[in-house]
Amino acid sequence: MVPSDAARVPDTRPPILLAEDLRKSYGPRPALQGLSFSSQAGRILGFLGPNGAGKTTAIRILTTMLEPDAGHFVVDGISSEYPEEIRRRIGVLPENLGFPRQITGIEYLTYYGQLYGRTKTESRAYGLALLDEVGLLQRARSLVGTYSHGMRQRLGIARALVNDPSVVFLDEPTLGLDPRGQQELLSLVQRIAQERMVGVVLCSHALSEIEAVCNDVIILLSGRVIASGSVSEVVGQTQRNVLRVQVPSPSISRARQVLKALPSVMKVAPTDKVAGWLRVELVDVADGGSSKAYQFNNKLLGALIRAKIPILGLEAEGGRLQDVFLQLTEEAIK
Amino acid sequence: MSDATIRLKDKRIVADSRVKPSGSAVPTWWLVFIRELADLWIGGKALILTLIYSLVLGIMVYVLASSEELSLIPPKELAYEMLKNAMAVSLFIGLIIGADSLSGERERATFESLLLTPVSRRQIIAGKFLAGLSFWPAALVIAVPYLQVLAQGDEVLGPTILWGALLGTVLAVAYTGLGMLASFWSNTNKTSYFLSLGLYILFLVPAQLPGRAQTGAAGQFLQWVNPLAATNHFLSKHLVNYEPLSLYWPWLESPVVFAVLVLGLLFLFAGPGLRLEAGRSSKFWSRLARKVGLAVIVCGMVSWGASTVMASREEQSKEGDLQISIDVGYRIVKTGDKVEFNTVVTNNGTEASHPLIVAMNVINLDAKGEVVDPEDWSPQRTQYMESLAARQSASQHWIINTILDGNYMVYMVLIPAPDSQETTSQPVTSSGIHLTVTPFTRLNPGGVLPYAIGGPIILLAALVLINRLRRRSIDLGSSK
Repeated sequence: MVPSDAARVPDTRPPILLAEDLRKSYGPRPALQGLSFSSQAGRILGFLGPNGAGKTTAIRILTTMLEPDAGHFVVDGISSEYPEEIRRRIGVLPENLGFPRQITGIEYLTYYGQLYGRTKTESRAYGLALLDEVGLLQRARSLVGTYSHGMRQRLGIARALVNDPSVVFLDEPTLGLDPRGQQELLSLVQRIAQERMVGVVLCSHALSEIEAVCNDVIILLSGRVIASGSVSEVVGQTQRNVLRVQVPSPSISRARQVLKALPSVMKVAPTDKVAGWLRVELVDVADGGSSKAYQFNNKLLGALIRAKIPILGLEAEGGRLQDVFLQLTEEAIK
Repeated sequence: MSDATIRLKDKRIVADSRVKPSGSAVPTWWLVFIRELADLWIGGKALILTLIYSLVLGIMVYVLASSEELSLIPPKELAYEMLKNAMAVSLFIGLIIGADSLSGERERATFESLLLTPVSRRQIIAGKFLAGLSFWPAALVIAVPYLQVLAQGDEVLGPTILWGALLGTVLAVAYTGLGMLASFWSNTNKTSYFLSLGLYILFLVPAQLPGRAQTGAAGQFLQWVNPLAATNHFLSKHLVNYEPLSLYWPWLESPVVFAVLVLGLLFLFAGPGLRLEAGRSSKFWSRLARKVGLAVIVCGMVSWGASTVMASREEQSKEGDLQISIDVGYRIVKTGDKVEFNTVVTNNGTEASHPLIVAMNVINLDAKGEVVDPEDWSPQRTQYMESLAARQSASQHWIINTILDGNYMVYMVLIPAPDSQETTSQPVTSSGIHLTVTPFTRLNPGGVLPYAIGGPIILLAALVLINRLRRRSIDLGSSK
């Protein structure tokens, strides 16, 4: 499900969303310290960061809900000096969006369609089409108060699309959803970006979902950008010469001895997070390229197999966004 | 094909480009107004408040009709009391609706979605304000049957409804706007309700002051500066005492000025700065503007009040052959009727008189009859005059409200003001008015019971009906 960046060619189109040196402070506390990035139509940009990193502040500024102290941004060619015009071009699903309970789904979308200048008939027709798109057509005439959390999130996405926006901002859209609901919603987000050719900014705590659906990622910490680029570029920024091996708990000490004896291994130690996992630091293989890394992996596995130690799992540390995020945020905090 | 034109594509309707206002689209303030109206009235909040309001009026009308003491009050005063109370309750509800309008949306997290639309902030305020104002006309309509039953056919009913509608609208504008301002500066309903309740109580304080504090210069000023108290004062003078309007116009200044100031603050100051968080952005000029706005309210009120008090003082005014005459000899009336008459004071002497005082007295001619409390019969029993020049006359207008049945004598006393503390003067007495007051059928508590109970029941039925109609137009499926 990871979007491929291998086939990515340099994009000469003007960015659909461009931010330059956005800054914001709440009193003496800086919330955003020079956020700059650009995003293209049809691509999904993920905003990552721990609590208080400045993600929501960034979203609020980009959606004109908050005025930046400095910097400016452009949405679909419209400068941030024209917030009303920008609001015509963006769709937003805010975090914890509330809904009036005594209103049906179609009434809700018709109302918002009218606020964007459509006639009632146009709004209703478009609202029904959007409900169909997000899979809520059958519940169009039900009160929003009777919707489940997942249905409300999908209605929120339909609301974000009611003005046929150029850029869609989704702030924690999967929060509180069950795994199936999360997967359905993320598929919907991908479909929206690809079929409608809109720029999507997805703000989330869930690293796996950013990795699964985003093309680009920005990692924020204390209002600063600590990493940005395509997902593969950001993942490539971290060390990749560490493996994690899972063996049965009684075999841990023997596995350590076997692995330590290998010439390519620098250090072996149990991970401090999950029992049964060993963290294996290898000599630097960056110069040798990926084929050399695979050879090391094979040697390591071969040694364990020869010692008749069952291998329950094997993964490369630093190969996932989660590792990058933890490593970068840890380094930045230090 | 215009930008907003919609075409079908792959079973999906896709807009041609970004949505732009089409020519046939309605004004956005109207859309917000209709949506808010539906939320208020179909959602049930306003209907429930209306039901509570009608219950309060029902209890009031029954108490007024069944109380032995209160039944002595003439119909016009009962009607005035009912109007005053109906206004006080409905203004409070209007204040509460206004207080919920912005902070409630912040609390329910529905505000951001609205602010993210390209609708101007002022139009959002306008739509919400008009919806908040919608309670007052409903409250007035509900109050009419109660006013009618208490007026008992008295001619006061028409003017009561007319003035109630007029002044109630001015106050409803002010109170709803005030509630919205409280809501503008609050992040939660708890804060805005608390703030609104505090302001409401503040406006009720002057009416709770002891009698002397209300009638002195400071008390008069406090009453004048308070829009609710000033309106009630005006209504009581005009509806109960039949005072000429020209004397009491200044009492309408504070409600009107108050409403204009609230609207100005709401639309010129709060409206453009409406945002997700409470209040305006923390920039210096906006803080300054807020302080200036409040200072304008205070200064405006103080200066208008001072001018009125001064004016009223200016309104306020030697012995020889002084004479006082009355233009009525006798009158047969029923309890609750109003009796109007004029007196003429003449100085037949060759010198100017002292300053003069004309006082009214009412005496029961039946030795076994009820003792008369003249205060109940006429709120204005004394009039003060400047000195009269030789061979000059001055006339005075008087009103009596007949409280009890029986035989009475009303007479006037003309008192020249004494020169000093060690001197006295000779009062002159007029001929009397022989007043025969026949009993009026007392308001039957059983008669008002259908109104007291019927109003809330009709509203409850309307609430159920609206709810049923609404349920018919929607699906009632559970969440899946």
